[in-house]
Amino acid sequence: MGHTGAVWCVDADNSCRLWDCETGKQLALLKTNSAVRTCGFDFGGNIIMFSTDKQMGYQCFVSFFDLRDPSQIDNNEPYMKIPCNDSKITSAVWGPLGECIIAGHESGELNQYSAKSGEVLVNVKEHSRQINDIQLSRDMTMFVTASKDNTAKLFDSTTLERQKTFRTERPVNSAALSPNYDHVVLGGGQEAMDVTTTSTRIGKFEARFFHLAFEEEFGRVKGHFGPINSVAFHPDGKSYSSGGEDGYVRIHYFDPQYFEFEFEA
Amino acid sequence: MQDAENVAVPEAAEERAEPGQQQPAAEPPPDEGCCGPRGPALRRRQGQRPLVRRWRSRRPGRSRRARPRESGLGTSAPTAGAQAASEDAGGNEGSAAEAEPRALENGDADEPSFSDPEDFVDDVSEEELLGDVLKDRPQEADGIDSVIVVDNVPQVGPDRLEKLKNVIHKIFSKFGKITNDFYPEEDGKTKGYIFLEYASPAHAVDAVKNADGYKLDKQHTFRVNLFTDFDKYMTISDEWDIPEKQPFKDLGNLRYWLEEAECRDQYSVIFESGDRTSIFWNDVKDPVSIEERARWTETYVRWSPKGTYLATFHQRGIALWGGEKFKQIQRFSHQGVQLIDFSPCERYLVTFSPLMDTQDDPQAIIIWDILTGHKKRGFHCESSAHWPIFKWSHDGKFFARMTLDTLSIYETPSMGLLDKKSLKISGIKDFSWSPGGNIIAFWVPEDKDIPARVTLMQLPTRQEIRVRNLFNVVDCKLHWQKNGDYLCVKVDRTPKGTQGVVTNFEIFRMREKQVPVDVVEMKETIIAFAWEPNGSKFAVLHGEAPRISVSFYHVKNNGKIELIKMFDKQQANTIFWSPQGQFVVLAGLRSMNGALAFVDTSDCTVMNIAEHYMASDVEWDPTGRYVVTSVSWWSHKVDNAYWLWTFQGRLLQKNNKDRFCQLLWRPRPPTLLSQEQIKQIKKDLKKYSKIFEQKDRLSQSKASKELVERRRTMMEDFRKYRKMAQELYMEQKNERLELRGGVDTDELDSNVDDWEEETIEFFVTEEIIPLGNQE
Repeated sequence: MGHTGAVWCVDADNSCRLWDCETGKQLALLKTNSAVRTCGFDFGGNIIMFSTDKQMGYQCFVSFFDLRDPSQIDNNEPYMKIPCNDSKITSAVWGPLGECIIAGHESGELNQYSAKSGEVLVNVKEHSRQINDIQLSRDMTMFVTASKDNTAKLFDSTTLERQKTFRTERPVNSAALSPNYDHVVLGGGQEAMDVTTTSTRIGKFEARFFHLAFEEEFGRVKGHFGPINSVAFHPDGKSYSSGGEDGYVRIHYFDPQYFEFEFEA
Repeated sequence: MQDAENVAVPEAAEERAEPGQQQPAAEPPPDEGCCGPRGPALRRRQGQRPLVRRWRSRRPGRSRRARPRESGLGTSAPTAGAQAASEDAGGNEGSAAEAEPRALENGDADEPSFSDPEDFVDDVSEEELLGDVLKDRPQEADGIDSVIVVDNVPQVGPDRLEKLKNVIHKIFSKFGKITNDFYPEEDGKTKGYIFLEYASPAHAVDAVKNADGYKLDKQHTFRVNLFTDFDKYMTISDEWDIPEKQPFKDLGNLRYWLEEAECRDQYSVIFESGDRTSIFWNDVKDPVSIEERARWTETYVRWSPKGTYLATFHQRGIALWGGEKFKQIQRFSHQGVQLIDFSPCERYLVTFSPLMDTQDDPQAIIIWDILTGHKKRGFHCESSAHWPIFKWSHDGKFFARMTLDTLSIYETPSMGLLDKKSLKISGIKDFSWSPGGNIIAFWVPEDKDIPARVTLMQLPTRQEIRVRNLFNVVDCKLHWQKNGDYLCVKVDRTPKGTQGVVTNFEIFRMREKQVPVDVVEMKETIIAFAWEPNGSKFAVLHGEAPRISVSFYHVKNNGKIELIKMFDKQQANTIFWSPQGQFVVLAGLRSMNGALAFVDTSDCTVMNIAEHYMASDVEWDPTGRYVVTSVSWWSHKVDNAYWLWTFQGRLLQKNNKDRFCQLLWRPRPPTLLSQEQIKQIKKDLKKYSKIFEQKDRLSQSKASKELVERRRTMMEDFRKYRKMAQELYMEQKNERLELRGGVDTDELDSNVDDWEEETIEFFVTEEIIPLGNQE
C-alpha cells in the first residue's frame, strides 16, 4: 500500500517519529529543538511536514521532508524550513493536492504556505484568538477551524475565504465536518484552570451540532465532565467520537432521528 | 570683601552711598545679609570691583529712595500714600544717615579711588550685570494687595481719634499685623472711611472675609473691601453692550424616541470590557441596533432621569449626547471626574472629581447648568463615600448636603444657601427628600437621655411637620415610597431585656393629617426592604440563609398594615419591583447563583421560577413590560450576557456579548395622562388587547416567514459555493489519481474490487451440564 503504511507521531519530548503501521516498527526519529505541535503527510504520501513550538529561545518553524530522498531523514535536513516569527503555529494541515499547507496561529491568523517555495500564498485573520484545530472536509475543498474566541468557522481551502461562522459561549477546542451531511460538530469548554469559577452543571462541556449552511445549532450531546479537546466523525458519518480533558473518549452512534432531521426551509 | 557685600544688596548700598557719592560703603546694613539666592552675584562681583564701582558712581543724582515706600499705598491713593510715605521715609532716612558717618570713618582711608576716568563709556547694561538681583526689585504695585478700605467708620474729631484708632486696631489686627493705617480728614473730622495695610495680602483677604458686615454699634456696620477691588470696579465701563445673540442650535427633537410607533424602549449596552458602547431598540425578536461606537466612554454611562441625555465619562470631563443621531449636546470640563448626578428636572448636573480641589477654589464638586454648559458653583468635598453627596428635592428646586451636625440646604437657580444659613442638627446621621413634595426626613441617634428621633421637615418653611421619638436605636434607614405617599423608617433596635436586634418598620402615612405612624415588628434579620412603586404594598426579605422568606404587606386605607402573604425557602437577596407596581422579581444575585422568582402580588402567585447563573444585575424596563438580567464582566469574568424576560418570567432572548459590562434602560419622562385617562385605558384593556394580539400574530407569522426566507437564501448561497468547489474538485481528479499512484480514493467504496472479504468463524464448544438429579 505504500503511503498508507506509515504514521507520524509527535511528542512533547522534542522529537518527531515515523512508524510503520503494519509492523509497528519505528522507521525514523527526528530530534527537534522544541516541542512538535502538528504534523502531516501530503496527499501523495511522499512529503511530511511538522511545526515546532516557539519556546526556550527557539522560534517556531515548519519543516518539510521528502521521504523519496532518504538522506533528508537520515541527516535530519529538511528540504525546506519556514520560520514563523510573529505568532506561533498552533495547528496545521496539508491543503488539497499537497501544494500548500494551511496553518492556524496563536494570534488567530490563518496562513497558506506554499510547500515548494515556503512563501505565504494567502493570509487572513478571521479569528481574534488562538486557532486550536483545523479539520478538512472529506473532499478537502473546505475546512473548519476551532478557536479560543468561542467560534468555529468554515473556510474554502483554496482561497481561505470565510464561508460560515458558528458561535458558542465557550472556547472551541476542536471541530469536525460530517462526511455525508451538512453538519459540523464542535467540542470545547472552559479551560481547565477556569473551570472552578464556573458551575459544573453549567460548564458546557457538550458536543454541539450545527447546520453548515444555516449556522444554527440543532443538537447537543452531554457526557464529558471536562473540556472536550478533540472531536471526529466516523468516515461513514454514522457515529462520532470525542476525547475530553476528563480522560474519556466517548463514541456515540447517532439516533435515527439524526438522519431524519431537517430544518424548515 | 566689604564692597562685594554691598553689591549683593544693591538697593541698600545705593541708598547709603548716595549722600557721599564716591564713598565706598563699608558695612553691610544690619538687617540684610549677603547669603541665600544672592550668593552667585557675590562671587562674581568679587573679581570685578572697578565695574561695580562704576555702576554706583555713574548716576549721582538719581534717587530711588521713594520707590520702596511707593509700594505702601500706591499712586492711586494720593492722600493716604503721601502722608504715609513722608512719615515712614523720615524714619528710614534717619537710619541711613546714621550709617553714613561710620562708612566715612573706616572707608576712604586705605582704599584707592575707584572713580572712572572722565571719558569712560559704559558699555555694560544693568540687566547684564545684575539681572538676577534686579529681578527682585520691588514693583510699584507690590503691597497694594495688602490694603483694605473700611467704610462706615465713625466720624470723629482729633480729640477722639486716638480712641478710634485703638478700637480699629483691636478689631483688625485679629487678621494679621497692621503695618500702616490712614484716616483721611476733612474740616477737622475724619471722613468716615479708613485705609489699613497688612503685612501680607492673605491677611487683607481674611479681613474682608470676616470683618465685612461687622457691627461696631447701631449706626456703624463696617463694609470692608480690598483696595484693589476699588480699582477693578472703577475701571468698569458705564456703557453696557448688548450681549451678542448666540445662534440657536437646533438639536432636533430630543424626545424623538417616545414617538416610536411600537412604543419600544431603548437601552444602552457597554461591552468588550468598556471599549464599545451600543444603543438598542428593545424588540421581542432581536434587539435592533441604533448606534454603536468604540471608546464612547472611558468608564461607564448614565442616562438623565427623564431619558433626554446620555452622559459619558472621560478623563477631561463629562459629555452629554442626545437626539436621533446621538450627537454631542454639551460638555462639562472637570478633570478626573468620577461620579455624576442629575437633578430630577434635568436642569443641573453635579460632577465629582477627587483631583483639582484647592483651598480657595472649590473644585471637587461642581454644579453645572445643563442647557448653557456653565459652571454654577463649586464645592469642597473630602470623600465621595456617600454619593450622591447632594440630594435633590423632587422638583430640582433645592439640594441638600449633610456634614457634621449640619444640614445645608441650597436653592436653585442661585445655588446659595436657603435663607443664607445651614440647619444645625447635632448628631444628624442621614436625611432624605420625599419624592412627592418638598419634605426632608432626617434622623438623629440617641444621646444619653434624649431619645433618637426621626423628623419630617417642610421646606422652604423649615416647619417640622412630624417628629417621632425612638428608643434603643442601633440604626435607621429611610425608605420613601416612589410617590411620596409613605415613608418607612426601618429601625434596628436592641430592646431592654432582650438579646439581639429587633427591626421595626415605622410606616408614616404622609397624605393624612398629622402623619400617623404604624409599626410592624420583625425579629428576624432583614435582608431587603422595598416599597411597591405607585402602590401601597411593600416586600421584605428576612431570615438567615438558607431559610430566607419573603413577606408582602399591604398598608390599608384605614392605616392597618396587613400581611398578605409569606413565601418561605426563597433563594433571594434583592427585591426588584416593576416600575408600575404589582409585579416583582426576587433575585438571588451573585453568591446566590442568579436564582429568579417572578411574583404577581395582586393574588400573590409565583408566576415562574428561573435562573440566570451568576446574574449580577436585574433591570426593569421603564414601562414594566420587560426585565433584563445580566452577568456583568465587572463582577464575573465568564458567560457575560444579558437575558430578556417578560414581566411574567418568560425568557425571550439570551444576548451573549463579549465582556459585557452594563445595560441601562433609557428612562421615560412621567406620563402626561391624567389618573382618569389611565383608569379609562385600564377599563378598555380588552379592546386594546385584541388589536395587540392581532399585531403579534402578524409579526409572528412574518417572523417565521422571514426566518424561512433567510434559511432558503443561505442554503442557496451555500449550494452555489459547494457546486463551485465540487467542480474544481472534479477537475483535479486526474491529479489526485496521479498523486496516489492511480488508486481512486475519492469514495470510501471506490475500490470495491480491491477488497478482500474475510470470513472469521468463532468456534464455540457446547457442553450440557445437567442440573439436579436425573432419574
